[in-house]
Amino acid sequence: MGRPVAIIGVGQTNHGRRMDVCYPDLVREAVVRVYEETGLNPDDIDGVVSGTMPSMMEGVALTHFYFADAMKAGGKPILKTETCGSTGVSIAHTAYYWISSGMADLILAVGHEKMNEGDSQATMTTVAEPFYQRYFIAGAPGVFSMQSQMWSVRYGLEEEKVRDAAAFISVTHHDSAFDNPYAHIKMQVTMEDVKTSRVITYPVRLLDVCPNSDGACAVLFASDKMVKKLGLDKVAWVKGVGYRGEEYYFGDSDKAVWQSAVEAARQAYDMAGIKDPRKELDVAEVYNPFTFQEMMFYECFGFCGLGEAPDLVLKGTFARNGELPCDPSGGTLCTNPIGATGLIRTAEAALQVMGKAGDHQIPGAKTALSHAMGGVDQFNGIMIVGSEL
Amino acid sequence: MPGKVAIVAVAQNAGAESKDNFYDQAYVVTKEVLDKVGLNRDDLGTIVSASSDIYHGGISCANSYYWETTGGFLKNASRQDGESLFAFFYGVMRILTGYYDSALIIALCKGSENPENDACTLMYTDPFYTRGIGLQETMAAAFQMRLYMERYGITEEQCAKVAVKNLGNSLGNPYAHRKGRYTVEDILYSERIIDPLTAMQVAPKSEGIVAVLLASEEKAKELTDKPVWFKGYGSSLDNYYLGDRDLLDGQLKNAAARAYKMAGISDPRKEIDLAEITEPYAFQELMWYEDLGFCPKGEGGRLLDSGVTQKNGDLPVNPSGGVLANNPYVSRGLQRVVEATLQLRGEAGERQVDREVRTALAHGTHGFAGQCHAVAILGS
Repeated sequence: MGRPVAIIGVGQTNHGRRMDVCYPDLVREAVVRVYEETGLNPDDIDGVVSGTMPSMMEGVALTHFYFADAMKAGGKPILKTETCGSTGVSIAHTAYYWISSGMADLILAVGHEKMNEGDSQATMTTVAEPFYQRYFIAGAPGVFSMQSQMWSVRYGLEEEKVRDAAAFISVTHHDSAFDNPYAHIKMQVTMEDVKTSRVITYPVRLLDVCPNSDGACAVLFASDKMVKKLGLDKVAWVKGVGYRGEEYYFGDSDKAVWQSAVEAARQAYDMAGIKDPRKELDVAEVYNPFTFQEMMFYECFGFCGLGEAPDLVLKGTFARNGELPCDPSGGTLCTNPIGATGLIRTAEAALQVMGKAGDHQIPGAKTALSHAMGGVDQFNGIMIVGSEL
Repeated sequence: MPGKVAIVAVAQNAGAESKDNFYDQAYVVTKEVLDKVGLNRDDLGTIVSASSDIYHGGISCANSYYWETTGGFLKNASRQDGESLFAFFYGVMRILTGYYDSALIIALCKGSENPENDACTLMYTDPFYTRGIGLQETMAAAFQMRLYMERYGITEEQCAKVAVKNLGNSLGNPYAHRKGRYTVEDILYSERIIDPLTAMQVAPKSEGIVAVLLASEEKAKELTDKPVWFKGYGSSLDNYYLGDRDLLDGQLKNAAARAYKMAGISDPRKEIDLAEITEPYAFQELMWYEDLGFCPKGEGGRLLDSGVTQKNGDLPVNPSGGVLANNPYVSRGLQRVVEATLQLRGEAGERQVDREVRTALAHGTHGFAGQCHAVAILGS
């Protein structure tokens, strides 16, 4: 169904605390890089998709206006996709549907955020409605911490083991970030450092949590016809797309078995023909702003059984040299410019299957999963890419 | 065109301020559009909504909030920001891939829970150069109007006549927020907001939850015997700073050219039977006539004077009353699709035009002096 679509190029900013550039220049940096990387130019493009978290995080609304020039989108068809934290992957989905529908051959997808110019936790508190939930939801960590507690209790997981597994994830991702030239946080941490770092919302500690990053990501999507016309051999074909959302009120849903995550993955696997994800995927870029949550995703995505993630994490199953390496880029834990983050996951998955991930390349990676999550713990989106059509 | 997509049902709520809460309003419109063709939520394929956090009553990540009340529970749904015609096109795309046979497109903007429109449009400005001078959409429109009058000899009376026409038309529209029989003098002597714009030439702030149900060709046959077909779409974005643009040479003609090409239209004035366009400022309707190819450049005023765009004319424009009558900012583009659909189906009630309608145009714009435009072509 639909026409085949491929990712043909990726441009990322040097993510971090980028007080050296203004917000449009940050966007421009990623866009210029994807054009340099592919040798294409804005005249070749049929349309642009852009998106961010709540635009007001940086105090500018409807940012496609502001970045029209930086995205080189003047005179171009435009779409603006926003789905909270999952925005990045939803941008990738929009580009996919645009081309797959036959309505375009070459689409530029751009995600961006300059979190150091705003107050991200204050902004995220306004995702909760003002009457019932807002008092209880102090930014993102509150919700996610409750969720990890719910999950531990449901499966009778030993607190110390969960704590160790989460710390292990933090240590390995921080190590991986050294091999990613675009990553924000590059610091050596030990298990002890993680376990003794400042409590943010129990049991989540500082080193279990992603940073506030400034960053943008630009990805070029092309039809099979365009891939052939350009004579490209190393591209990442979109194999599976899945997205689901669930209840807005936190208390209405069961977050220990995260239905939207389970169903989004199922939709993407069905489309990609994947039956045993742990065997058939070579690498996964899981959206992991919180270490504890990453383990829940492993379970919801069928990488392991429910309640099994901490044991497998400690065995190294999901480490760089493990059976299914997860977040070899360092992931969201080390770099989180929210509106760009999901698209960075897809970009990193594409780089892996194109063999262009540099020092954090997983050798021989052919099939990769990318993921993003958003809303009040509510949305999950997946895009699976592969080296073969 | 790779395949066919039809509009099988439409629904909208009234534009006047309502004390019904957002959740209920959204639910009622969603339920109505599905019920009209007897489609169960479980059988609905996908949902694309349109909303903007800045026009969403102080709740960010707008679609998190209305996810379930618009039928989204465990669906693959997405959202577009700013312009609801984006969501319409995204829904068309999703069906054309073959993965979905139906798509609910819903635009949500509850004006009564938002501050004045220009308190929001001020937030489009960059914080360094233009916010400090208080630039907002109405001010940008006033610059554009002054330039338009000076360059092409358009008169204030001609601009006011757009409001007379549209607010008169809206008397036949039960959903319209603002309506009435006015004279050119009434319009011109209403409060001068930002010179040369007067209050009656500026769109109000309205409620607007607007839904369109799309279906694949096969599914449409199952659901309705009066499908309205998607024929074409085009959009275009202009550069950001007003000083970098010629405000009279904008992107609408590009957006229209793309839509006309897809729909196979070469002479829009002859081939289009009716247009529902977004004219948040009265004079813009005249400019958009020109950019849509209904008349040569600078002759928008003359076209209006000729009576062609009146409800009983040869090319009626905004028989619903347009955006001057009803302005739920983000939803207004999709509302044009709803109105065009009703006309194509002959279901527009008192606002049904005299002439036969086989091809209709729906237009949306948002941003300063029309920074972004989108055009959809529909046919019976």
